Amino acid sequence: MTNLLSNFCLASAAPGAATLSPILLGPSEAQLILALPIIGLLFCTLCAIFRVKSKAPAFFTVACLAGAFALVVRLYLNKTGTPVITSGFEWFFLEWGDGKGQRLVANFSLYLDSLTILWMLFVTGLATLIALYASEYMAGDLGTGYCRFFAAFNLFVFSMSCLVMGDNLLLLFLGWEGVGLCSYLLIGYFYKKPSAVEAAKKAFIMNRIGDLGLLMGIGLTFVHFGSIEYRDIFHAAQPYIEAAKAGKYNEIPFLVQLIPVLLAIGAFGKSAQIPLYVWLPDAMEGPTPVSALIHAATMVTAGVYLVARMYPLFLLSEYALPLVAWVGALTALLAATIGMAQFDIKRIMAYSTVSQLGYMFAGLGGLSSTGAAFHVVTHAFFKALLFLACGAIMHGFAGQLDLRKLSGIRRLKGWGIVSFGMLVGCLNLSGFPFTSGFFSKDMLIGSEFLTPGMAPIGWILLFTAGLTAYYTFRVFFRVIVGPLHYEPGDELHSAHDEHGHGGENHNEHAHVQDDHQHHDHGHGGHFHPHAPGWAINTVLLTLSVLSLSASALNFLHLPNQPHIEGGIVPELVMESSAAYESPYARHEAHEGTGDGGHEGPDAHGTPSYVPTAIALDDPHAHAGTFLGWNPHAVMFYVSGAVGFIGIFVAFVLHYVGRTTAATAKADALLPMLGPIPGWAQHKWYVDEFYKYSIYWPLIILANLCNLFDKLIIDGIVRLFGAIPRWIGNTIRPTQSGELHGYAAGMAAGVAVLLFIVFILTLR
Amino acid sequence: MTTEFTATLAQAGYPAAFQSITLAHYLFISGAMFSLGLIGFLTRRNLIIMFLCTELMFQAAGLALVAFSRFHMNMTGQSFVIFIVTVAAAEAAMALALVVLLFRRRESLDAEEWSELKG
Amino acid sequence: MQNAATPISAAAAGFQIQDWWLVLLMAVPLAFSFIIAFGAPHRARATALFGTLVAAALTTVVLFQFNWGNGAAFQFQNRIAWLPSLGISFSMGVDSVAMLLIALTGLLGPLCVLASWTAITDRVRTYYAWLLALQAAMVGVFIARDLILFYICFEFTLIPMYVLISLYGSTNRKRAATTFFLYTFTGSMIALAGLVYVAWVNAGLPKDAFEGAGTWTFDIAVLQQAAQGSLTMAQQSLVLLALMAGFAVKVPLFPVHTWLPLAHTEAPTAGSVILAGVLLKLGTYGIYRFALPFCTGAFIQYAPFLAVLCIIGILYGGLICWVQTDMKKLVAYSSVAHLGFCVLGLVALNTAGIQGSILYMINHGLSTGALFLCVGFMYERYHTRSMKEVGGLASKMPIWATFMVFFVMASVGLPGLNGFISEFLCIFGTFQASDTWGKGVWGSSGAPVPGATPGNLGPWYALIAGLGVIVAAMYLLIMVGKVVFGPLREPGAHGDAHGSHGESHDSPGHLPADLTAREITALMPLAIACLVFGLYPMPLFDALKGPVGETVAMVQDVRENGLNNGAAKTASVIDAREGTR
Repeated sequence: MTNLLSNFCLASAAPGAATLSPILLGPSEAQLILALPIIGLLFCTLCAIFRVKSKAPAFFTVACLAGAFALVVRLYLNKTGTPVITSGFEWFFLEWGDGKGQRLVANFSLYLDSLTILWMLFVTGLATLIALYASEYMAGDLGTGYCRFFAAFNLFVFSMSCLVMGDNLLLLFLGWEGVGLCSYLLIGYFYKKPSAVEAAKKAFIMNRIGDLGLLMGIGLTFVHFGSIEYRDIFHAAQPYIEAAKAGKYNEIPFLVQLIPVLLAIGAFGKSAQIPLYVWLPDAMEGPTPVSALIHAATMVTAGVYLVARMYPLFLLSEYALPLVAWVGALTALLAATIGMAQFDIKRIMAYSTVSQLGYMFAGLGGLSSTGAAFHVVTHAFFKALLFLACGAIMHGFAGQLDLRKLSGIRRLKGWGIVSFGMLVGCLNLSGFPFTSGFFSKDMLIGSEFLTPGMAPIGWILLFTAGLTAYYTFRVFFRVIVGPLHYEPGDELHSAHDEHGHGGENHNEHAHVQDDHQHHDHGHGGHFHPHAPGWAINTVLLTLSVLSLSASALNFLHLPNQPHIEGGIVPELVMESSAAYESPYARHEAHEGTGDGGHEGPDAHGTPSYVPTAIALDDPHAHAGTFLGWNPHAVMFYVSGAVGFIGIFVAFVLHYVGRTTAATAKADALLPMLGPIPGWAQHKWYVDEFYKYSIYWPLIILANLCNLFDKLIIDGIVRLFGAIPRWIGNTIRPTQSGELHGYAAGMAAGVAVLLFIVFILTLR
Repeated sequence: MTTEFTATLAQAGYPAAFQSITLAHYLFISGAMFSLGLIGFLTRRNLIIMFLCTELMFQAAGLALVAFSRFHMNMTGQSFVIFIVTVAAAEAAMALALVVLLFRRRESLDAEEWSELKG
Repeated sequence: MQNAATPISAAAAGFQIQDWWLVLLMAVPLAFSFIIAFGAPHRARATALFGTLVAAALTTVVLFQFNWGNGAAFQFQNRIAWLPSLGISFSMGVDSVAMLLIALTGLLGPLCVLASWTAITDRVRTYYAWLLALQAAMVGVFIARDLILFYICFEFTLIPMYVLISLYGSTNRKRAATTFFLYTFTGSMIALAGLVYVAWVNAGLPKDAFEGAGTWTFDIAVLQQAAQGSLTMAQQSLVLLALMAGFAVKVPLFPVHTWLPLAHTEAPTAGSVILAGVLLKLGTYGIYRFALPFCTGAFIQYAPFLAVLCIIGILYGGLICWVQTDMKKLVAYSSVAHLGFCVLGLVALNTAGIQGSILYMINHGLSTGALFLCVGFMYERYHTRSMKEVGGLASKMPIWATFMVFFVMASVGLPGLNGFISEFLCIFGTFQASDTWGKGVWGSSGAPVPGATPGNLGPWYALIAGLGVIVAAMYLLIMVGKVVFGPLREPGAHGDAHGSHGESHDSPGHLPADLTAREITALMPLAIACLVFGLYPMPLFDALKGPVGETVAMVQDVRENGLNNGAAKTASVIDAREGTR
């Protein structure tokens, strides 16, 4: 593998904008972006203290986040293309000498470049929308729970902003763990439900494993580059980048090449990649707005952000990008296969999230940071939309999420917008032509075929795209269309105002395999699903429109910038440290010079640092092809066709001739596949594997330690305590308490003394 | 026994017959007294008798001290004996009082009755 | 550190209040201890609260009087003759490390009284009197600049703690108290031998070696010079062994930790808070103040060995926590793990490590002290600490649950809270501290490695210790998951008496379900401190810069010039004097 990759792995790498020295500024209004969620947090805390029972926390949060969004938009409009660092107050400052690498600095300073702004745009924008949605969704919990929810929500946005905007790795780490904490608090929001608590714990601990990798990466970064501030790192990495350009990887110390691998481990944890992905599906125990914001749109893309942010370092390593690519591709495939066999629609969405994150990592690893970032943005919109639509269904049907118990809900009054939103989301996710998901996915897969050695990953992703289309539309054809049928979920038991709160006798949410039919049709007769209200509908409609119009991003371009295929999002990425100069692009530029001195942005809009995408037009480049064609040229048709096939299969198996909610044609086909669907339904037993290979050995070890501590270590201590006692017990009988005994002893003593004196005088 | 010492004794007005009594005689008496006391202490069970036996041993030691004191012409031994006698007197008063108290407890003077200090 | 030996005569300069701040710091709690002991029982706890508040106020005043810009210098020095013939005196002075620990002690004082407000109902006078005496002794340890004064205060802490555990503890208290006393006492006796040995060496030095040599003295600064100048490696190793016997037990490091869970489990809440908050720090403070400067050479040489013990403690303690069902025991074992990080940072012997270690002393006192308070408040209501019997308290005690989760997060080392600062620095310091960086390890030949510091630990130590961070998350979140979250479970015996809570308990306090204002008052300062130090630790970094810098310079001197440097210096001084004669 290394052989194949050695020539691509950046034969050349030059972070475009990162080489520009950043502009240093004092505190600016960008700091307000951090302050606004904190204000929201304080307000929610006060509401909790004074037991406010209104929607005030929600609307205050929406206002704060909208303010933050407005500030980010302002930043975007004012951006110059050069990174800006605004200094904040000092957090870490340690010094042990004057030289380079002898001070550890990590302040609350912000690094604002186009990548940051891109991320912040969708983070704050989506957070605002989802907070609005949650104001209605969580209304059943008015009171302290409501305040708690929005407090954690604000804290999340704050942490995410730190993560994205921080100018050093340690502030990123603060945000990194901060979003982990909020994820923990929000997954465990229904804290009376053991499964929710379990899931929250699992998420936190799984993330911590990745975080250790990240922490070690930070340590190694400091030791090797003498700083953990981005600008210093990028500056200090410059000589290595030169070496990497020349393909002299042996001149780059192994430990420097190890840094991105360690950082990638952190990214795998946060973004739910193999082997640390198992927490994300369980995280669906949290309220749906949380799933939509944290576990679909924003937090899980932090890993992608980390890789994109540290792209210059990733380019230094022979191993890091292939690792990232393969892990991403395999995760995409694995999660898609699991998603196909699930029945809980929220879980299907969760696995599709894991799968799509895999796409993004594969894109990063396949040298398409632009495609990956584009996919992050489009995915954020349509996946949030899908989750919120699922949430609306869950909300309206008392927690019902089993696709075998819901059917044709578009026929119900008031569910039109939900059905529409679902359709839009599904089309995007399955890459239906001219939706935004279609463009971003094409760009991504196309790059894989372009990059030498990455073709297998391209094929995997292409195949996965088909699976994605299938399982996505499986949900759509079963739940939204078809004959009308529904059963309420198990939350019907609890009083409505305790919605989702899980009373004390509340069972676990065993949606998936819940075959005991305690909600029969009789129940269904009494049950009236309540259609979503204005807030949910508004948000769903907005997101639908945004998801659809996000495809326009593909055709928008930055003013005064060379146009790049993929539109505005890739152009933003190219301005940032995540940019790199493709070897093939350089090749072309060189030829262009030879031909007629066209260099830089020319009539065709081809800049000197064009990304892989356009460079492939050049037949001389040693770029890969897709069965002999230019991947980007044909990928539109190929992936469109693959998507159609997936949708068609789903249509045939799950819509045609289906008369009940519970069964479809697909069920008849299942036995033909033998045990495989069952394995997939049990998530390939990965959880069980972890349980028996890691959890149980550790528990046994812990118990052994406990015993060792009690018996051996404390035993030795007690042994020392026991020695004097033993001596005392041994000589105790000599103390008979009888006068004559003592007297005899004395006499004997005297006799012995006399005898000794006698012997001594004898000489 | 040095001749000077004999002369000293004579000067001090000791009768001649006593000149043949040497330190060894005193020590023999002292030893005998101590042995008697010890044997009595070990064999008798009556607390008063045992107490008297301890006194006997005490005085035996005193005798030896006096004898050596005289032998070395050093008054330290004798002054020490004065202390012993004083202490012995005080001790006798204390001990006999204790014995009386013990007797009141158990209506017996048998030493075997008391073995509460068993370890 | 230089020449604190010069006697500062308070009388000569007339009465100056700054000479007496430290005496006051120690005397105030002691005086109140006597007032309580001989006062009326019903006024004992109010007096104790007043006394600790006065002490806290005094501490605050001293904190503001202290010149933080010159943290390395010992300030407010005072010396009162005690046994001049043996060179023993009441000599005191504080640098910023001691000052911060005194501040921690002063802060915890009133909180402990508040925590005992309703929990202690019998023999109130004895309890509070000993509590204040304990505070005086702890302050004494930190202000002492004389070995004997240090040692007396160090040992005196055992007596109040013994009384607190053995009279006010839970079921197994006698055994716990005895074990605690004998275990730590045995260790400290050996440490005393080591300390006296250093003084003895000084008394044997030629008079000209340096000022203060050649006579018996127990002045810490003089002895430090003596030890650095005259102990051979073998002697240093022995002294280190003796000192570690005392201090490692107190910390406690891995193989000598078993007294801690027992003592913590049985101690009353305030006892646990003091124990975790300050008493354990006496061990780390002792290592920092004596073991490191007295036997620097041996310390450098045996650093990997100590680090291994720390790492074993981190992982082993963490794993044991995982299978505990007793909450207090869990938190106690977590202290073993946490203090492993603390000592690990210290043995890294670089700026980041030592800074982290000293900050760890303070941060652990705050977060673990608070955890013990939380557990204590729950214990007062349910009379059990078993995670099998109680659970899901978030629905019943939301305020308590909030604090609990907050302090658990501080303890787990969540960035933004105080625990992270110190934990990160300790791990980071360990990571840096290796001579092998950039010297051909893993192909790193030739490349400049600007961020490395000399040392003999390195990334592997950091990585394995870092696993402890994961383990910490596991056991603490499992505790939170069981006790705070999940369905509500309360001990069966009290199941019927929910409505009339007071009836089923013999405590007179009729505690409400959730925390009272008093209890919130006890937790709030700690929470604020955790948050502030987590987000803005710069004042602490600045304060510790001086002393840590000097320590690192001292270590560096020994590294570069070897052990004989001090002896050579001594010899050269003597030669020069003989030459002039």
